[in-house]
Amino acid sequence: MKDTLERPWVEKYRPQSIKEMAIPQAKVSGHRVALDEELRTFIKTFLTEIQNINEKNKKIRIYNRTVEDKKQKKELSVPPEKSAVLLEGPPGVGKTSIVYALANDLNMEVIETNASDTRTRDALESKLKETVKSRGIMDFIVQSKAKLILIDEIDGIYGVTDRGAVPAVLDLIENTQFPIIMCSNDYKRNLQTLYNKIRKIEISALSKDEILKVVKRILKKEKIDNFNPKDLNYIIEKNEGDLRGTINDLQGIYQGGLDTDTSELIYQLNRDNNEEIFSLIRELFQDARTLQQARNITDKSDVDYNFLYKWINENLPTFIKKTNELKTAYENLSLADEVFGRIRKNQYWSLLPYFYDLFSGGVVLARKYHPENEGFRRINFPRFTSTGFFSLTVAEHSFVEKIQEKYNVSEIEIIQNLLPFLRKLTSDSRKYLKLVSDWFDLDAKEKKLLTK
Amino acid sequence: MSDNIPVWRIKYLPHSLNEVCGRTELIQRLSDIIKERNFPHLLFIGPEGSGKTTIATLFSEEFLGKYFKSNFQKVYADMPLNSEELKQARSDAYISTSKIGSLAGKKVTTPAFIQVKIKPFIELKALGDVPFKILIVKNFEALDSNQQAFRRLMEIYGKNCRMILITTKASAIIDPIISRCQIFLISPPKFEDFKGEITKIVDQEDVEIEENNIKLLYKITNGKIAEAIDLLQLSSMSGKKIDNTVLYQNLMNSQTNLVRNLLLICLKGDFLKARELSRKIQSNYKYSSQEVFKLMLKEMLKLPLSRYAREKIINLIADADFRAVDGLDTDIQISNLLAKLCDFAEIL
Repeated sequence: MKDTLERPWVEKYRPQSIKEMAIPQAKVSGHRVALDEELRTFIKTFLTEIQNINEKNKKIRIYNRTVEDKKQKKELSVPPEKSAVLLEGPPGVGKTSIVYALANDLNMEVIETNASDTRTRDALESKLKETVKSRGIMDFIVQSKAKLILIDEIDGIYGVTDRGAVPAVLDLIENTQFPIIMCSNDYKRNLQTLYNKIRKIEISALSKDEILKVVKRILKKEKIDNFNPKDLNYIIEKNEGDLRGTINDLQGIYQGGLDTDTSELIYQLNRDNNEEIFSLIRELFQDARTLQQARNITDKSDVDYNFLYKWINENLPTFIKKTNELKTAYENLSLADEVFGRIRKNQYWSLLPYFYDLFSGGVVLARKYHPENEGFRRINFPRFTSTGFFSLTVAEHSFVEKIQEKYNVSEIEIIQNLLPFLRKLTSDSRKYLKLVSDWFDLDAKEKKLLTK
Repeated sequence: MSDNIPVWRIKYLPHSLNEVCGRTELIQRLSDIIKERNFPHLLFIGPEGSGKTTIATLFSEEFLGKYFKSNFQKVYADMPLNSEELKQARSDAYISTSKIGSLAGKKVTTPAFIQVKIKPFIELKALGDVPFKILIVKNFEALDSNQQAFRRLMEIYGKNCRMILITTKASAIIDPIISRCQIFLISPPKFEDFKGEITKIVDQEDVEIEENNIKLLYKITNGKIAEAIDLLQLSSMSGKKIDNTVLYQNLMNSQTNLVRNLLLICLKGDFLKARELSRKIQSNYKYSSQEVFKLMLKEMLKLPLSRYAREKIINLIADADFRAVDGLDTDIQISNLLAKLCDFAEIL
């Protein structure tokens, strides 16, 4: 019994059959279709097609044995649009689930690969090609389960790093003995060649009612009846049609106990990408007391250190209030930044540990005073990034261009020198504002720059 | 036409070399060059706001005459390239295999700035009845090591195009460049000339200013005529008569004011507020971290602090500036400086 308690609800309540599912809306080239029917027909047509082609190929092979090389016929294969289909939609609407549920209904076996396991062409090939081309020894003896290939998170596997993967997938599609279903979150340009060859089914987010139905069923099965409908509504809304996220939130809140302030819990359980970084920074500042602890925290996370130390920069003053502690913390952080700059410049990546220790340990250990009950501190997103580059907003850009028509000086001079002067000139007198904007022919948006 | 121009500094911009305020000797030399129809590469050295660019532009305009537009270009060495230009530089750097020569299929490693902004202009011959084109490179010192690339360019394409390099820091220019140029030192106008220019404007704009206040104006602007005209215009708004109090009231420009505030907030020990303000200054005026440090240094000297405190603060600023050179995130370095200043204020 304990086992089921510890399983994530998402796994526990993963639909076993299509009937249990909240089926998301789907579109094929702009026309609405029923997703389950679409997939079912896709698999069925593929299976009949492949049977025909295998029989034809058998004949071709027999024929080929009798003639010389030049006259040999090519073996046939199923056209790509009939052998593979791509499901594209936001996370958590049930792309993977529907494939598993369908396979279960049709008594098929799913061979899955995803970005978490396979990231390179080699890995992909070694995993899939054998299954695709050959048939198991047992297949000749007993009728085994039919197979279905699921390439999950295809946009994640075939990033920029591995261009060879797209041809590998295309190759796979052409030679497959089993239907292939691919899932992806968003449109990727480097997958363009793939998109052109196969059918794409666009899946939209689930509606609120559909999610509510599923969630209510789960709550009933878990025998939870004290959940505030308002909170439930809030969670569903926050997840924007992401059923998986909703269920995860629910479980987190339920197991965290419903006595505490739910909205804060919901905040803490924020399921977007920043969640990990949020908790990481809290841990670093609030829990870590020694260098080793700080190290452990940064080691176990897979947050990109390029960002992490910027987050620390942004949130340092939230946690460290005493000026002398702040000074030590910043001393270490700035040293870390300097070290990192040198590492990048000279490509001494082996020196990276110093950078790690400086920005995590060095900053954390600067904090000597830990209040007993610190309470909830809001983590800020690092909004400000000074890259040292001179970049203008759209309004500034058009403003500068208008000025340069009449007065040809550099952009820097206009922004740093002329604009402040014009602001001063026009701030006290409406007459000048009109004169200046008329003469430079400024429109309303550009005028706003003057009055800001 | 010129009556309608609301901004005095544009209204009184000189339209020919003769109109340039003061510096008669220099103008004479340049006029001689125009008559001769030939000159070597030039290097203009002078403090900020002394009119180097204006003089260089007017000079080119008069030299090229009616062919000015097609044969003249002004580039800013300190303007970072935008992404499009960088992309272009990258594609230009690759020499197609279809071309003939030993470089086919290889990449040229010319600095992107020169590849995009300089080469396309100087490679082509001058159009019309002029001996060569004129290219003005402003803030030449900002090119740093890329100056080396100019050495050959100046020789190879010297026939097509003469350059006028403009800089504020003679020490930052490498020797080979200096030896290839005729040097012009451009100083701010002398007081007499400055006074003449100001009185001319004063007469036309119907305001009054006494001579000792003109002296004051000269002193506080360091002879930068554009800045003086700006100040004059601001002062004129509060009345026909301009005296020293009005001048001082308008003197504080907004940036230096903000930087001074920043320092004061730091010395009160409010880190969060200080950081917010410093970010605001950077984004509003597009300052790089180095410029912020410089401004802070300048303003710090104006604050009433003890000698010890000043020494200490200069040290802190210098340290932060050095780190920013090597570091990647300048915001961290500025925050570091602010935190240290806050801490230092507590000791004081």
